[in-house]
Amino acid sequence: MIITRPKPIEEILSMVEMFPGLSICVVGCGICARKIQTGGEAQVSMMTARLQRSGLDVLDGKMVKHACSTESWDTLVEENPALDKADMLLVMSCGAGISLLGRISGKPVLPGLDTTSLGSALKDEISEDFCVMCGECDVGLYAGLCPKSGCPKSQVNGPCGGSIDGDCEVGERECIWVKIYDRLESRGMLHLLDGIRPPVNHDRRL
Amino acid sequence: MRFADVLGSGKFVVTAEVSPPKGTDISGALAEAKLLQELVDAVNVTDNQRAVMRMSPIVLCHKLGEMGFETIMHMTCRDRNRLALQSDLLAAHALGIHNILAMSGDYPTMGDQPSTKPVFDLDSVQLLQLIEKMNNGSDFQDKPLDGPTSICAGAVANPGARPLGPQLLKLNKKALAKARFIQTQAVFDAAVFNEFADAARHTGIPLIAGIIPLRSAQNARFMNEKIPGVKIPDEAISRMEAAVDPALEGMKIAAEIIAGIRTNCQGIHIMPIGGHGNTRRLLEMCGLG
Repeated sequence: MIITRPKPIEEILSMVEMFPGLSICVVGCGICARKIQTGGEAQVSMMTARLQRSGLDVLDGKMVKHACSTESWDTLVEENPALDKADMLLVMSCGAGISLLGRISGKPVLPGLDTTSLGSALKDEISEDFCVMCGECDVGLYAGLCPKSGCPKSQVNGPCGGSIDGDCEVGERECIWVKIYDRLESRGMLHLLDGIRPPVNHDRRL
Repeated sequence: MRFADVLGSGKFVVTAEVSPPKGTDISGALAEAKLLQELVDAVNVTDNQRAVMRMSPIVLCHKLGEMGFETIMHMTCRDRNRLALQSDLLAAHALGIHNILAMSGDYPTMGDQPSTKPVFDLDSVQLLQLIEKMNNGSDFQDKPLDGPTSICAGAVANPGARPLGPQLLKLNKKALAKARFIQTQAVFDAAVFNEFADAARHTGIPLIAGIIPLRSAQNARFMNEKIPGVKIPDEAISRMEAAVDPALEGMKIAAEIIAGIRTNCQGIHIMPIGGHGNTRRLLEMCGLG
């Protein structure tokens, strides 16, 4: 699940202003953004109405099944002809969906959402910051709780000194290291934390 | 005398903290350090502490070195990737800075440049390993250095952090990475520190206990709220509230804490709020002046 959040409407309006005279189709995504209610039917229809109220030439608001994965632009247009009629797309999906639609449509695309992290949805419970896509996953050593993403300082060798009573010094969150330690201790597997973990090899991502 | 030698001699060490200026005028920082002459074994110089932007500590350490001070330069992993950490370590060594305190660093949103990119390319354990490598003549990628460093590297710990298990996990790794000393977050409760010291004793690393003499009850409450990892007990705050001379009461509390932990540490590190005007007096109260 890719976590997105709505952009402030003022930011969207000022982006649209940079493309005067172009007609717009608002596009939602049927997977992650729909599930977490940032780019589903309701949000697309609200955005469409909001932009129309501002006097913008918005032809329609449409959903695609998955903005980041499709056969071709023609496949999407077959389902939603309005996509092809518009001069420009305002895409309410994660950055991957926006990028793919920009590539295959040949049209300017504008982001309707900000992409913030890789998380999960468990029924209605949305979790953020599960993965930073470091390219060398070793989450098995940390009881399935990744400290590179769960710790704001990406500490892989234990907690920093800023955690007090299990709380992180940054924002309202629990210290991931207290959770990792507790989970491994309860499984009798603290030996997994023995030794010093190396820093991420960023060379491997290329 | 080199700080490593003082530590090695088993002496009870006293260090104190000076901050680089937020601006180009270093006269205030040098004047602060002068108050510590003949009083401390080393002066610590902070590195954008609390993520508030200030002058690089390399410059101030160098100037203090010229004045005859032994310095301990703080180095956080927050602002530098491994390239920058290594170049700054070489620069520090070239300027005669022999001691580095390796730490993660407070998160940028705590400070005055909250929109900055948090780096954290290495953590403090990996930084200790890097220093050890450079002391042995090679860089992070095992490429030979034209002249090794000879840096005595220390690290930090928070004796007040609970649960202790995860904190000790990190401490053990700092021991594995050959930390030569551990400077602690400010201690406000001797019993809490002693419990930590007992749990840390097996590492054999000397502990240097952080001491902040309280200035006022208001200031104590502010620190509880704003400084990560600080926990001042209600009893100390009540004493500060009732005191006729709060600054003196703050020193008395600090002196009592020092007396209460003295057999469990190999030194203290004074980091006062608002300058070292009272540091000599505090150390005299403790028989360390």
